[in-house]
Amino acid sequence: MTLLDVSGLHAGYGPIEVLHGVDLTVNEGEVVVVLGANGAGKTTTMRAISGTIPRRGSITYAGKAIGAARADEIVNAGIAQVPQGRGTFVDLSVEDNLRVGAYVRGDDPSADISRWFEVFPRLGERRTQKAGSLSGGEQQMLAIARALMSRPKLLLCDEPSLGLAPIIVQEMFRILAQLNREEGTSILLVEQNANLAMEIAHRAYLLETGTIVASGDAKEMLDDDAIRKAYLGY
Amino acid sequence: MIKDFLQYLFDGLSTGAIYSLIALGLVIVYRGTGHLNFAQGEMAMLSAFLAWWVSDNWLPIWLAVFVCAAFAFVLGAVVERVIIRPIGKRSVFAVGVAAIGLLLGINALAPFLWKVVFPEPIGSLFPKENTDFVTIGGAHWRYENIGVLLVMLAVAAVLFVLFQKTKLGLAMRAVATNPESAPLAGIKTGQVLMISWGLAAAVGAIGGCMVASVNGNVTSTMMLAIFFSATAAAMLGGFDSLVGAVVAGLLLGIIENMGAGYQPDIIGNELKGSLSLVIILVVLLFRPSGLFGSRRVERV
Repeated sequence: MTLLDVSGLHAGYGPIEVLHGVDLTVNEGEVVVVLGANGAGKTTTMRAISGTIPRRGSITYAGKAIGAARADEIVNAGIAQVPQGRGTFVDLSVEDNLRVGAYVRGDDPSADISRWFEVFPRLGERRTQKAGSLSGGEQQMLAIARALMSRPKLLLCDEPSLGLAPIIVQEMFRILAQLNREEGTSILLVEQNANLAMEIAHRAYLLETGTIVASGDAKEMLDDDAIRKAYLGY
Repeated sequence: MIKDFLQYLFDGLSTGAIYSLIALGLVIVYRGTGHLNFAQGEMAMLSAFLAWWVSDNWLPIWLAVFVCAAFAFVLGAVVERVIIRPIGKRSVFAVGVAAIGLLLGINALAPFLWKVVFPEPIGSLFPKENTDFVTIGGAHWRYENIGVLLVMLAVAAVLFVLFQKTKLGLAMRAVATNPESAPLAGIKTGQVLMISWGLAAAVGAIGGCMVASVNGNVTSTMMLAIFFSATAAAMLGGFDSLVGAVVAGLLLGIIENMGAGYQPDIIGNELKGSLSLVIILVVLLFRPSGLFGSRRVERV
């Protein structure tokens, strides 16, 4: 079942168009990776889907057209984004950050908060500290946990490994894979660390200067010599 | 000796409570949108005029205060939506200029709307007879002064609960710290900002009513000097701290009254307002973030 269907997506900043008609889909329960060099439009793709920048084209989520929806409506529909550079609420405590994440829900989020504190014990230890005082890795964990507090069916993850120590990166991908496996959360992932991303991905897209130039099964893409050399570095 | 001290303290606490009310409004707006609302005092003045009009014609004065706070809430929300937001998209400085324009416009609007030139008498919110005071250490703490202080503390307490304990308050704090990411959590940023401005105006309106009640009248210039001292208080408190606004407002009120009382020839009533400005100058030299302001720490 197709969960997210993007076609002919155009977006950019002011007069500069970055995406020139991007097409991609995410099926239910899938982890999909978007690979691409710096400036290819990976982050712009994520922002266009989450509604944080103006865009043109068709975006369908669970059968509903969301191409013209505002960012807060898209979260309500069930898509959560972990923005690049974390996007935590630095003046708020760790626990309040999670409460903000549960803003769209009508019920008491306490059980989910305890649960994420179990998954990320470091956050639990720092629950009353301001988010701004956390280390980069902890903030990234918090950003992911915050996004998951809305119980999304689709998680958009923009460069979650940016600036993190390798051991924390591995831990984070383990958690993302587990989330996908156990909860069935679909994940659309943009990642510089292509090797790790491809390990947990089902499918991948290759983005070059604002258009998709290749797509396919993650395993098949790994077997393609040209792609491997260009994006995976071996 | 102690009698004089207590007297200046009591008087200062109620002057300060009014500064705190206006400063609270400034802080709410600043936290929400990062703007200094120059029209905060004049919006309070317009609201006080409404309270005078309503209490003169229809309702008891206390009910009139609630009506005027509700009116101010709508006024603040409309100002945010119609003036501040569209202009803010272009430039922060333009918002400052627009707010100054609003200050001048409202200042002229109130006398125009009600066709009044001279101060109009308004009833008092608190017992105000010559005998309405408690005596502590020989000094008179007037019921009126106690009342103004209690109203301010009650407003501050309500704001604290709102910000710290409610979902709306959580959304307001989230928008204040990261307006770009707040929509990603499903928060309607625009709605939250309108509510922030409305809330700030309502708090200011209550301040305006207190001033009117203490002065015994409403007039278009009633908030001008108070606005400057309240701005000084907001700065001294750190501009993003509600506690700071309350404490710094009271502090400035006390300092002004003590200065005027102990140095009647050098400072007196004429110069006591400038005392606030000297104090914030000195404090900001050593603590640029104010007494309670958060120095933003962000690890990357």
